[in-house]
Amino acid sequence: MRMNNERLVKTMNHSIRITVFGSLIMIAGLCAASSLRAAQDSPQDGAAALIQEIKSKGWILYCARSDNGSWDLFASRPDGSHKRNITNTPDFEEAAPLLSHDNQKLLFRRLPKGATIDHDLWGFQGRLIVADADGSNPRALGEDKEFPWASWSPDGRRIACLDRKGIHIVDVQSRQTIRSLPRKGIYQQLFWSPDGKWFTGTGNHAGAQWSVVRMDALTGELNPIVTFQSCTPDWRPDSNRIIFSSRPANQSPTNSYGWTQLYIADGDGQNMQLIYGEDGFHIYGGVLSPDGAYALFTKCTADGGGAEEAGAPMCIMRMSDAPVIAGPSPFLEPKYPGANSGPVAPLTGGWEPIWTYAELFSE
Amino acid sequence: MKNRLHAVLLFLCLICISCSPKSDDGEDPRVTSMGRFEITAQLLEIPEPFPDIPLYDYAYVLKYKVLTVHRGALDADVLYVAHYNPLKPRDQVADVRSGDIGGNLKKIKAGGVHRMALDEPIDDFYMGGIINKYFEQETGPIYWALWTNQVIQ
Repeated sequence: MRMNNERLVKTMNHSIRITVFGSLIMIAGLCAASSLRAAQDSPQDGAAALIQEIKSKGWILYCARSDNGSWDLFASRPDGSHKRNITNTPDFEEAAPLLSHDNQKLLFRRLPKGATIDHDLWGFQGRLIVADADGSNPRALGEDKEFPWASWSPDGRRIACLDRKGIHIVDVQSRQTIRSLPRKGIYQQLFWSPDGKWFTGTGNHAGAQWSVVRMDALTGELNPIVTFQSCTPDWRPDSNRIIFSSRPANQSPTNSYGWTQLYIADGDGQNMQLIYGEDGFHIYGGVLSPDGAYALFTKCTADGGGAEEAGAPMCIMRMSDAPVIAGPSPFLEPKYPGANSGPVAPLTGGWEPIWTYAELFSE
Repeated sequence: MKNRLHAVLLFLCLICISCSPKSDDGEDPRVTSMGRFEITAQLLEIPEPFPDIPLYDYAYVLKYKVLTVHRGALDADVLYVAHYNPLKPRDQVADVRSGDIGGNLKKIKAGGVHRMALDEPIDDFYMGGIINKYFEQETGPIYWALWTNQVIQ
């Protein structure tokens, strides 16, 4: 009986040891898996994965300060690699590239050396330049301040311009105005939709300034998208939705009048959704990748997007991750409880970027 | 004694007269020549405080009671006039966006009487943000204030 008891105790000790050892291995395994998952989910790893995902998806074009201090046009892969100065004109300031929808031609504005780019008035400034898509063969389309706020028609043969007298459709070859229509309060940032059926712009609507509106390009009929503190609209490639910057009222009092976020809405103004917001930054220059899968924008601590200085850091995020709220935001978090915190791929400084999947340059 | 009192009163009256602002009808070569319309009008109200964000330019629509029509065919007792960047003195307000505007009015206050050179439609003269708190009312055309002088009555 004693022998049996000793054996029983021995057997029990052995079982306990095996159980404890097994449990330790399981706990260690769980910890390892958990930390691995945490590492994969960390903002740095998420951004690294995003950078890998986008690095070969065409090119982004933007304006930025060159080494000599003047504004030039640059191109880089979406991950920031293979950056190149595509205008390299130290005697001019060049800004606001806009590719034709067939990726053949480039529009931008050329200002006298030393001129300050105005974040609101840039479309009126300098001469309109048309060049090949890679920036070569630049030629002036008009004189100083001519063809303001020019944007491409779907076939690249015409441009829509905006001045006090209205919206004008201009034939690029002959430089003749083919058709004009009233601007109905639109005062800046006119962009023609890729399908040619619409304009979007920033204007006055229903007594409110800084409204983003959509106009039927044929009839001139206009509908609001948002009528409070909004601007810099641009089109989703399908021409059905509009991406824009907006600064809602009554935000947390971390600055005098709130922060500017990036939103998207249907062309009729419905289904407005947050894309990206970050307290402490104003988000401007939002555009979508050619397939609409990614958003490219600038984030600037100073309002205005940095045009008067040296631009602002550019960023890329997946639209499937939207809404993204980076950092704490007492105003945005309660409104978007399911928002993600990223990932966001940070890029170099620039202003008014655009994105093409066309292989405009060789690496 | 009586003569001395009269002298003191006369002296005080002279001081009052000399210290009171001189009347000024606001006429000058710019206000009498710019735009198609020229009026003297009283600003009836300022609907809400003017936004004070120096980064953003805007025009603000204000409601005036017309006192005198100097030039142009205007048949209205009340006019709606847009002033550019209304927080700035009129002689410092002109810039690239506004074009040639100005005047000697230092501060826009409700009740003030202004002599103004005006034109319309505003979209032919100004391309920028417009705050119009009277949007839902029947206002007629919004006039653009080209030149705004203070009137002292």
